[in-house]
Amino acid sequence: MATASVSTAGVGTSEQYNYDIIRKFTIMTLIWGAIGMFVGVYIASELAFPFLNFDTPYITFGRLRPVHTSGVIFGFGGSALFATSYYVVQRTCQTRLFGGDGLANFTFWGWQAAIALSALGYMFGYTQAREYAEMVWPIDLLVLLVWVSYLAIYVGTLLNRKQPHIYVANWFYLAFILATALLHIFNNLQVPVKLFSLESYSLFSGTQDAMTQWWYGHNAVGFFLTAAFLGMMYYFVPKQAGRPVYSYRLSILHFWALIFLYMWAGAHHLHWTALPDWTGTLAATFSIMLLLPSWGGMINGIMTLSGAWDKLRTDPVIRFLIVALSFYGMSTFEGPMMSLKDVNALSHYTDWTVGHVHSGALGWVAMITFGSLYHMVPRLWNTPMYSVRLVNVHFWLATIGVLLYITAMWISGIMQGLMWRAFDDFGNLQYSFVESVAAAHPFYVMRAVGGIFFLTGMILMCYNMYKTIRQGSTAAHADLNVAAA
Amino acid sequence: MSQDKATTTAPKTMGHSWDGIEEYNNPLPTWWIWGFYITFIFTVVYWLLYPAWPIGGNYTKGLTGLHTITYTAKTVDGKEVEKTTHWNMRSKFLHEMNEMEAIQKQWFDKVASMSYDDVAKDAELMQFVNSAGKTLFSDNCAPCHQAGGQGKIGFAPNLTDDHWQFGGTYDEIHQTIEHGRRGFMPAFKEVLEDQQITQLANYVLSLSGEPHDASLATVGAQLFKSEEAGCYYCHGADAKGNTQMGSANLTDKIWLWADVDGKAGQEAKLAEVKRVITSGLDRGVMPTWGGRLKPEQIKLLTVYVHDSLGGGR
Repeated sequence: MATASVSTAGVGTSEQYNYDIIRKFTIMTLIWGAIGMFVGVYIASELAFPFLNFDTPYITFGRLRPVHTSGVIFGFGGSALFATSYYVVQRTCQTRLFGGDGLANFTFWGWQAAIALSALGYMFGYTQAREYAEMVWPIDLLVLLVWVSYLAIYVGTLLNRKQPHIYVANWFYLAFILATALLHIFNNLQVPVKLFSLESYSLFSGTQDAMTQWWYGHNAVGFFLTAAFLGMMYYFVPKQAGRPVYSYRLSILHFWALIFLYMWAGAHHLHWTALPDWTGTLAATFSIMLLLPSWGGMINGIMTLSGAWDKLRTDPVIRFLIVALSFYGMSTFEGPMMSLKDVNALSHYTDWTVGHVHSGALGWVAMITFGSLYHMVPRLWNTPMYSVRLVNVHFWLATIGVLLYITAMWISGIMQGLMWRAFDDFGNLQYSFVESVAAAHPFYVMRAVGGIFFLTGMILMCYNMYKTIRQGSTAAHADLNVAAA
Repeated sequence: MSQDKATTTAPKTMGHSWDGIEEYNNPLPTWWIWGFYITFIFTVVYWLLYPAWPIGGNYTKGLTGLHTITYTAKTVDGKEVEKTTHWNMRSKFLHEMNEMEAIQKQWFDKVASMSYDDVAKDAELMQFVNSAGKTLFSDNCAPCHQAGGQGKIGFAPNLTDDHWQFGGTYDEIHQTIEHGRRGFMPAFKEVLEDQQITQLANYVLSLSGEPHDASLATVGAQLFKSEEAGCYYCHGADAKGNTQMGSANLTDKIWLWADVDGKAGQEAKLAEVKRVITSGLDRGVMPTWGGRLKPEQIKLLTVYVHDSLGGGR
């Protein structure tokens, strides 16, 4: 298996760096991943077999859906970003985290509390009903405190660096932290109904409110789920491949293009609504211009492997990373297409959107995270992975799961779009809504099966990680000698 | 910068190393750069075609604005107005809907101008009724009466049989859809003893030939017609119900509120009937569709329910 040449970087020890905080976030990444994906499979099954509601309000689709999205985006994805960014920033700056262990621990406990409390709240019906930002205002404030601490730690660590330049991965992580702070604050401007009430009113109303929500929603995808994970990619792909990054020039250009263009694209979520047409046009064109900057990251990642293509056959970690980049390339092509007015006329309000999100979320975000964790965990616990075979099995389960999921949603989405717009010779709608629901049923089952594949892989990973961590040690080794990953 | 062109085969690194990671400085792939330019060109063309840039209180209308779109739509106070505007998504949508409505209108006008019987006899018109009726019924009626109008025990009556609680003539069905209905039966738990309710329930079961206790049913029959229970006020002395008030026919073996068919065994069936007599009914609500559907849609649904779903009477 891949013999990662860590000897050159035999500088990472628990004495020099704060690895404890990374270990904590890594473990929570695994736990939230398993919980969030299980809830995802459950609600997908509810859509296929509604009896699974069991007439219990707490577990109906409407309440569990934000539990799923928060669990996987903020629990799994967020914890993975905290873990990897703390790992990457320390190792590429060769300095311990700024602000001491206490501040880092605050970001850990604060973040975990915010997710756990909000998830419970959703089940009991406490939500501010803003998509991907359902957290009620007191939790918004907690998240804000955590995030400002995160920013302080990150910027402080960068300022303390012992390297003349800031490595590209850190640009992406920093852009993600800054943008997320901005998005979180403006999307959550609101007035509580009364002091001791969890309910609140948004400061914006009508179309402006919708615009604000999707400015947030799209950039949550752009900065939280894209820029930040590109930061992850820029460290773990060259590291695992043992090859230099393909092009510094490309990284500069696609970074700035991506950062600048993403901010304007959110309104494409509001085609075919009360949003003025001109706003939608601008959003669509900025989405089109985003295509190549997005692909810049994919090219830089995949081409980094040139000269080491054989690793795709031999190293399951590389396989995770490269397949993640392929899904990234695919979904960043699909997105701009869907933002065009005429394509959107077919795709909007259908399962196609759901499929698109998941080709990004499962194919890109989760796969790049899996690859990065399989690289990082052996180094955090000073031991090779318990089972490389299980890593391989996980890879295939995950890949088959994603493919089943997105294929099912493409078919049902395009079918819904076509059925809803079909007229007969009398000028009547050809299908009733419920007929389109019935037609989608087999694909809802297929989607749930895809989810089960993906979840099974996640659980295998948890088991493999548990065994690895049990056999490892957190003691500080002068020479971090991890032979096989 | 330009010297890098010659070094693609053996690129130099940038000379930095972070945690062992180095960077090449390969030139930008040509196809990537050209692709980027093409998206710019696409963008400018898109801006020229569609409404795009805000200027002051206005915005550029785009070249698609050269073709105006005319559509009619209802204002908030319900007035139909015709509007001509530059191209935009909303007017495009409304215009396309107008086109379909225009085709529909020829057929709806026919339905509105003809008598129910004439509509039912016109085979071509009935094709329209079935096509429009299927969608109207599925989107509005099926949530209670189910996809094929087969109804649901304890919830909404079956519309595919020949039995009509509130009457099955065209006019009665029209009345039902337009103004809604409210089925009601008082609770008898305060009025009658449990033993009396058992006797009545046995009588009711006997009317449909269900297993029952014959001696109790005989007492129940007396009670049914007595002033004490007064069942016959609504259900009639023959227990055949009354479509004027929507009281159920108890002799037709059709059960809506007591799930007699769904229960096995005399005891369970008896318990079902007793439950209804004891607690009464207050759930038989058919909502009002007048004002929610257009008059011609209600008329069409009347024909659809009468002739396409189940036999009228």
